[in-house]
Amino acid sequence: MIPIEMFLGLSAILFAVGAFGVLTKKNGLVVLMCIEMMLNAANINLVAFSAFFNDVVGQIFVIMTITVAAAEVAVGIAILLNLYKTSGTTDLEDINLLRW
Amino acid sequence: MLFIDYAWLIPIIPLAAFLIIGFFGHKTPEGGGYIAIIAAAVSFVLSALVGYEILSGTVAAPYVNDIVWLEMSPGVVLNFGLYIDNLSVLMLIFSSLISTLIFIYSIGYMHDQGERKRRYYTEVSLFLTAMLGLVISSNFLEMFIFWEIVGLCSYLLIGFWGFKHPKGEKASIAAASAAKKAFLVTRMGDVSLLAGLFVLLNAFGSLDFVSLFDPANIAAVDNSTLALGSLLIFGGVIGKSAQFPLHDWLPDAMEGPTTVSALIHAATMVKAGVYLTARSLPLFVQSTDVTLFVAVIGGFTAFYAATMALNNMNIKRVLAYSTLSQLGYMVLALGAAGYMMAASLAAGDVEVDHAMGYTAGTFHMMNHAFFKALLFLGAGSVIHAVGTEDMRQMGGLRKRMSITSITMLIATLAIAGIPLFSGFWSKDLILESVLHVAEGGHGAASAVFLILFVLALVTAFMTAFYMFRLWYMTFGGEEGEASKHCHGESPRSMTYPLVILSGFAALSGFLILFGFADALTFNFVDGAFVVGGHGLSMIEVLEDIFLNPFAYVSIALAVLGFYIAYRMYEVRDIEPGRYNQYGESSLYKLLQKRYYFPEFYNALALKLAYPAAMAVEQVDRKAVDGTVDGIANSITGGSQMLRRIQTGFVQTYAAFVVGGVLLVIVLIYLIGYLTGGL
Repeated sequence: MIPIEMFLGLSAILFAVGAFGVLTKKNGLVVLMCIEMMLNAANINLVAFSAFFNDVVGQIFVIMTITVAAAEVAVGIAILLNLYKTSGTTDLEDINLLRW
Repeated sequence: MLFIDYAWLIPIIPLAAFLIIGFFGHKTPEGGGYIAIIAAAVSFVLSALVGYEILSGTVAAPYVNDIVWLEMSPGVVLNFGLYIDNLSVLMLIFSSLISTLIFIYSIGYMHDQGERKRRYYTEVSLFLTAMLGLVISSNFLEMFIFWEIVGLCSYLLIGFWGFKHPKGEKASIAAASAAKKAFLVTRMGDVSLLAGLFVLLNAFGSLDFVSLFDPANIAAVDNSTLALGSLLIFGGVIGKSAQFPLHDWLPDAMEGPTTVSALIHAATMVKAGVYLTARSLPLFVQSTDVTLFVAVIGGFTAFYAATMALNNMNIKRVLAYSTLSQLGYMVLALGAAGYMMAASLAAGDVEVDHAMGYTAGTFHMMNHAFFKALLFLGAGSVIHAVGTEDMRQMGGLRKRMSITSITMLIATLAIAGIPLFSGFWSKDLILESVLHVAEGGHGAASAVFLILFVLALVTAFMTAFYMFRLWYMTFGGEEGEASKHCHGESPRSMTYPLVILSGFAALSGFLILFGFADALTFNFVDGAFVVGGHGLSMIEVLEDIFLNPFAYVSIALAVLGFYIAYRMYEVRDIEPGRYNQYGESSLYKLLQKRYYFPEFYNALALKLAYPAAMAVEQVDRKAVDGTVDGIANSITGGSQMLRRIQTGFVQTYAAFVVGGVLLVIVLIYLIGYLTGGL
C-alpha cells in the first residue's frame, strides 16, 4: 500500500505549482487552469485521508467539490469571455480598472 | 378648573401664530395680520384671567410649575417652567393688550407693504411670544433664552426696511445699520447678563427664582460674589433698557416702522430690562452699593436723555429720547426702592414693608406703556398722513387730523405729569420715593439721592417742555409744508386703537388708588421676599401725593414747561432761536450730536474693537486654522502614499493573500515552538 505521505507530497507539489501559476501567469485563462489545479490538489488530500481513515464522507465531499468547481469554471470563463469582448485582451496586466 | 393651569398657553398661542403666518401667511388676507391679532387677543384674555386668579388670591403667588430640563452633576438642575406672581401678571396683561392694539393699528399702517406684510406679522408674533415667555419664566436661564429672542426680533424689525425702504436706498442702509447697532450694543449687555448667570449658577447651584430669592440661600453666598452677579445682571438691563452708557441704539432704532417703535418702547424689549431689575431686586438689595449704582444710572439717564429731546426736530427721535428718559425714571425708582430695603436689611431689620419705589417704578412702567404706545401710534398716524418725520414741515394738523391730535394731546398730558392723567401719579410716586431715601439719613448716599431727586425734578420740567413742543410743532401753529398735502385722518383701524389707548393713558393712573399700591409692592416679611401686600391704602396714597409740597413743585414745573412750549411754538412770541444763537451755540450742537456718543461708539469700534478683531482673526487663521489644516493635510498626504497599495492587479492581491497565509502559518509554528507545544 502506498503510504499516505506520498499522496500528501503529490498534493503539496500540485498546490504549490498551481499557486505559482496563479501569481505569475499573465493569461487569465491559464490562471483559471492553475486555480483548478490547486482545487484538485485539495481533492487528492480529501480522497487520501478518506482511504486512510476508512471514511467514505471524504470521497462524497470530493464529488461535491468537483461539481462546484465545474460551475465555478463556467462562471470564470464567462467573465473572461466578456472581458475579452470589451477590452480585447485576457492579459491580467492590462486589466487594472480598480487601480488607485 | 383654574385658568392658571393653562398659563403656559399664553406664549404658545402667539408662537403658533408665528408658525402659521410664517408658513401660510401669504395665502391669508393682510399677510396673516388677522391671525396675529387673534393670537395676541387670545393671549391677552388668558393673561387677564390668569391675572384675576393671582390677584384675587385664588392661586397663591408666586405660582411655580417646573419641569426638569437638564440635570447636571453634582446636583445642579436646570428647570423649565412658569413663575407667575403679581409682577409677571402686570407685564403679561399690558404687553399682550398693547400688542393687540398695535397689531390692529398695523393693519392700516402696513397695508401698502404687499408681500412683506407676512414677514412683519411673523416677526411681531415671535416678538410677543418672546416677551410673554420672558415674564413668566421660572428661572434666569429660561428668561435669558427669551431675552435673546427679544433681541433677535428687535434686530429683524428695526431692519425691516433694510432691504427696500420706501424712501430709497439711503434710508434702507440707515435701517440696516440701525438694526446692526441695536443688536450689537444690546449684545454687550447680554454678554454681561450671561456672565452674571454663570456667577449665580456657580454660587447657588441653581438659577431658579424660587431658590435664588430664598434669603436662606442668599445668606450662604459670599456677599461680594452676590454683588458681582447683581452688577453683571444689571449690565444686561443697561443694554436692553438702553440706560447710559449703552443707550445710543434706541434713537437709531427709529429707522424701523413706527409700529415697531411702539412695540419696542411700550410693550416689549425695553420693558424687559425694567422687569429684570424688578425681578432681581431680592439679589440687588443684598448690597447698598449695587442699588445705589442702579439708582444713579437710572437718574442720570432720565436727565441726560431728556436734554437731547429738547431740540430734536424728528418727531420719532423726540419720542425715543423721552422713552430713554422715562426708563431712567423707572430704574431710578427701583434703585431707590432697592436702596431703602438694602439699608434696612443692612441695619438688621427683620421686616421691611413696602419699598415705595417698587410700586412707583412698576406703576410708571405700566402707565408709560400706555401713553408711549399712544404717542408712537399717533406719531405713526401723522407720518402716515404727511409723509415726513421732520416736525418743522408739520404744524397745523389739528384741523385735518382731529382724532390723532386729541389722543396725542391726552398722551402728552399724561407723560408731562399733568394732574390726574396717568403719568402724574406714577411720576410723583417716583419723585417721592427718591426723596424718601434722600431724607432717610443714609449719609453720603442720601446726598446722592438728593442730587438724583433734583435731576428728576428738572427732568419732569424738560419732559413737559419737549412733549408740548412736539405737540405744538405737529398740531399747532401755522400749516407747514408737508401739512398742506396731508390726506386727512388715518383709517379707522388706526384711529380706534388710538382712542382705546387714550382711555388707558388718561385713566390708568387711578389704578393706584384701587389696589395697585397693594398689589405691586416689595416686602421682606417672615424671612422671605414677597411681592404684593402690605401696601398703601387709597387714603395713604392720596396723602402721600397731595400732602407732599414737592408734588406741587413738580406740577408747577410741568405747567411751566407747558407754558414755555406754548409761548414758543403756539403763540410764537418767544423765538426759541434766540437762546441758542440760531442753532450755532455749542450746547445746541452738543445735544444735536447726542453728546458725540455715536462718534464715541464708532471711535471705540474702529480704534479698539477693530484691531482686536483683526488680531483675533489672525490667531484664528494662523494658529487654529493652521492646526486644523495641518492635521487634515498630514492625513491626506499619508493616504496619498497608502493608496499606492491598490495596484488594481488581481495577482498582486493574490500574492498578498498567499503571503498572509504563509505568515500566519509561520507565526502559528513559531508560537507553538516558543510555548513548547507542537
